[in-house]
Amino acid sequence: MANIDIDAPGTRQLFIGNEAIARGALEAGVGFAAAYPGTPSSEILDSLASVADRAGIYAQWSVNEKVALEAAAGASFAGIRAMASMKQNGVNVVSDFLVNLVMTGSGTGGLVLVGCDDPSAISSSNEQDTRPIAKWFDIPLLEPGSFQECKDMTKWLFDLSEELGTICMLRSVTRIAHARGVVKLGELPKAQRRAFFDQVHDARSVMPTRFMPVPSSLRHALAHVKLQNAREKFESSPFNWYVGPDRADLLIITGGSCWLYSLEAVRALGLEDRVGILKLGTLWPLPEKLVEGHLGRSQRVLVVEEIDPFLERSVMEVAAALPPDSPRPVFYGKRSGHINAYGELNPDAVGKATAAVLSLEYQTRDVEYGKKANELAGANVPQRMMTFCPGCAHRATFWAIKNALKLDGRQGIVTGDIGCYSMALGPAGFFQVRTMHCMGGGIGVANGLGKLAQFGFDQPVLAVCGDSTFFHAAIPALINGVYNEANFILVVLDNSATAMTGFQPHPGTGVTATGQETGAVSIEAICRALGVDVAVCDPFDLAGTTSTVLEMMADGGRARVVIMRRECELVRSHREKTKPYTVRVDPDICVGETCGCARLCTRVFRCPGLIWDEEAGKARIDEVICTGCGVCADICPQGAITKEAT
Amino acid sequence: MTTKPKGYRELLDEVIDAGLCTLCGACVGACPYLVAYKGRIVLLDNCNLAEGQCYLYCPRTYVDMDAISQKTFGLPYTGDELGTMREVLMARSTDAGTRERAQYGGTVTTLLSVALAEGLVDAAVVSKDSEDRVPVPYVARSEEEVLDCAGSNYMACPVLEALNRVPRQSEERLALVATPCQCLAVAKMKLNSPENRVDIGNLKLTVGLFCTWALSPDGFHRFLRENLDLPQVLRFDIPPPPAERFDAYTASGRTSFPLKQVRQFVMSTCALCLDMTAEFADVSVGSVEGIEGWNTVVVRTEAGAEVMERARASGKLETAALPSENLAHLKEAALLKKVRALKQIAGRTGSRSDLLYLGLPAGVVDRLLA
Repeated sequence: MANIDIDAPGTRQLFIGNEAIARGALEAGVGFAAAYPGTPSSEILDSLASVADRAGIYAQWSVNEKVALEAAAGASFAGIRAMASMKQNGVNVVSDFLVNLVMTGSGTGGLVLVGCDDPSAISSSNEQDTRPIAKWFDIPLLEPGSFQECKDMTKWLFDLSEELGTICMLRSVTRIAHARGVVKLGELPKAQRRAFFDQVHDARSVMPTRFMPVPSSLRHALAHVKLQNAREKFESSPFNWYVGPDRADLLIITGGSCWLYSLEAVRALGLEDRVGILKLGTLWPLPEKLVEGHLGRSQRVLVVEEIDPFLERSVMEVAAALPPDSPRPVFYGKRSGHINAYGELNPDAVGKATAAVLSLEYQTRDVEYGKKANELAGANVPQRMMTFCPGCAHRATFWAIKNALKLDGRQGIVTGDIGCYSMALGPAGFFQVRTMHCMGGGIGVANGLGKLAQFGFDQPVLAVCGDSTFFHAAIPALINGVYNEANFILVVLDNSATAMTGFQPHPGTGVTATGQETGAVSIEAICRALGVDVAVCDPFDLAGTTSTVLEMMADGGRARVVIMRRECELVRSHREKTKPYTVRVDPDICVGETCGCARLCTRVFRCPGLIWDEEAGKARIDEVICTGCGVCADICPQGAITKEAT
Repeated sequence: MTTKPKGYRELLDEVIDAGLCTLCGACVGACPYLVAYKGRIVLLDNCNLAEGQCYLYCPRTYVDMDAISQKTFGLPYTGDELGTMREVLMARSTDAGTRERAQYGGTVTTLLSVALAEGLVDAAVVSKDSEDRVPVPYVARSEEEVLDCAGSNYMACPVLEALNRVPRQSEERLALVATPCQCLAVAKMKLNSPENRVDIGNLKLTVGLFCTWALSPDGFHRFLRENLDLPQVLRFDIPPPPAERFDAYTASGRTSFPLKQVRQFVMSTCALCLDMTAEFADVSVGSVEGIEGWNTVVVRTEAGAEVMERARASGKLETAALPSENLAHLKEAALLKKVRALKQIAGRTGSRSDLLYLGLPAGVVDRLLA
């Protein structure tokens, strides 16, 4: 990670979008940052935490996004500039607090919400466009179209938030958050403010400064006034601009990552003289006069944006309100089918749409070359499926669960949740997981399934969730299971990390975001306090874990917990730099694909450390990838895999 | 005969899901995919092979009875009531303690002890009662262990799983105590030597058990648990007709259940079995109706004859002629089982020439169903 607190204003640094956002917050004088890890937003808090001590600010990994935003709001209420950052799902989690926060207003410390979306759900359970929440909840919204804007917009939003007295939102996407670009640095502030919760009447509010959303309709009207003020500023914002001819055959209206895609597409097609691009950075409220002004440039308007037709609809609303004698362009975009209303975009997709609107032929590369490229890629790129790392405890856990469910024979169900273990939907976890929704969703669903006995339901129910997920969302659902006596087993996969998002610490690890040691919260102590039977297993003890789960399913009854405890292998090996075992396959004993094995280790278990040698007809260990956990030695039916303690 | 390759999928379709499985254990313990658990055969993962030894050795997939008979005895399969035999007689252990601990005359226990003591075998694959009387496969390596496994349990036990689990490179000579279906599976293995397992040639002695039917370990065990304090039970017995009882003996006495009540737990597949006296064992052992404390013994092969001779010579086993009345009854009962089963099978398929898993010479079928 880059050093985001370099004191060198005017110099150029290479930052990923998230680092640029963090830098922007620093330059704005942010004092309090809170977040829950979530791709593609995690590096924002990661980088602020790494400089927090020497920058004199506070950075926290909260148990979930709701608490993160509430905490940030608390800091804002006491006059400290604060920021909460999250992925699209986090925006869903904060929504109740957020909508009320818009009604109460923020404090004298500017408050910024950063939401990072993941189009095409590259690292997410769902694909979701969070921009519409700004329109829905009445929140000023900006989206950066470059790395410089990541910094500059974030910094400016703190000023806007203080001026208007409301939370402001910055929305980013994976390709901005995780790509790197040049950012020119500004000045860092010298001192922090003093925190104080001022209870004196604030002239901007109709009530004395107490943060409450009542009287509701009045507060609502006030929120609209704030938005109107924002709109007026947006009309002349430097974050909006136009490139292209005065009169164009086609006007592209775009924003965010699609600004660069559109620019690239227009250049690739050589249409700079014919196609103009209106790049918007202030997305909500839409600067209507500005947009109206540009709408007259062309008879055709193509709105380029990812996922929802947010901009498209907002612009069409403006067009609908134009005076009757105004020229009305024809709109292209998602409504017309030129741009998909799902999935990421790229310059190629934008180029295709542009060419289609202008009835041009579109071909970016030679057809023959294209065919050849595909062939070579297919032949030379090895198949890599999404899977657990070599040595991952989850592989062993789901192996034990799979066997226990099969032996039990009642078609038991595993409800899933969010984390690395989400991959248990697929071959990585032997296709064990049957449902997956959101943080804590697995145990929630299990609460329902666990109360169907009166309808003849007799299938065992296992809900899996990670240790971080446990603290984030599972506890209320576990309490529900105890209180309402639901019959399910909660399987907590405790690998002592929030692994999927980058091994961030959580309450169970005993370390804070800034590396301070703190009291670790014990999962089993919480369960026992609820009166729940808890078992703790080492997933690498396959036989013991399988029989524990089998016995628990046989016992039935009310909610029970089994904790599968073994540290994340990447965390362990990074720290210890050792391999517990030297693992070997004896080719004389290995029977490979013949009856008695049928390639169990490389076809079913499929740890990346195991290779199938097609020529020799035997399995082999990849000494580079193998982490020496030795679990495969316990599953080989012929005893051909040996493990020797190192 | 079949030329289409068959493996675990067909085993599941044609045998396990079709209710034909006898829980003999021939398909489990040899690979990571099929295991036996609480009276069921469980598939843990999908094997990807089209052809499998699990299907090949199953006693309820196609059996060429003539080929088996030729391999085992060098003789064609005749369909005679008691199968191919050299001698049929009575026998019992000379040690009262052994007879007390074991079933009827304690002959099986004695034969195994002798085989171990005289170095004919190094280990015996048997079934053993766990503390709560669930029968589990076991490898006994001493006379004490053999005695510990004595006694009939009447529930199906996948003993062949233990045979399959013997390490591939083991050179131990083995004995096996097996029910008729298990003997048939082993005979199939001798016809087509298994790959990637211990050499089937290591199996030197198969002691067969007379069997009319076996009880489902899952259902019947639950019944026993609900009605008895199982760890207190010393042994079980089904006395001969007209008793119509299932007896459980504890230190304090005997608890009996009407046989009718117990019959509901008989495995449905047993109705399709023709073999009452374990026709493909080296020596087969059962009770003697009306003569307590003795076993009926049918000697079939050289290996069977040898162990009987050694047992007699050692003084541990005494023998006597089987009264002709008993022999007649035995033959009648065995014939009845054959005919009933054939009728069941033909009734299911609707034709005498489709006998599900049985490959019988047509003449034999006609004679039995005449």
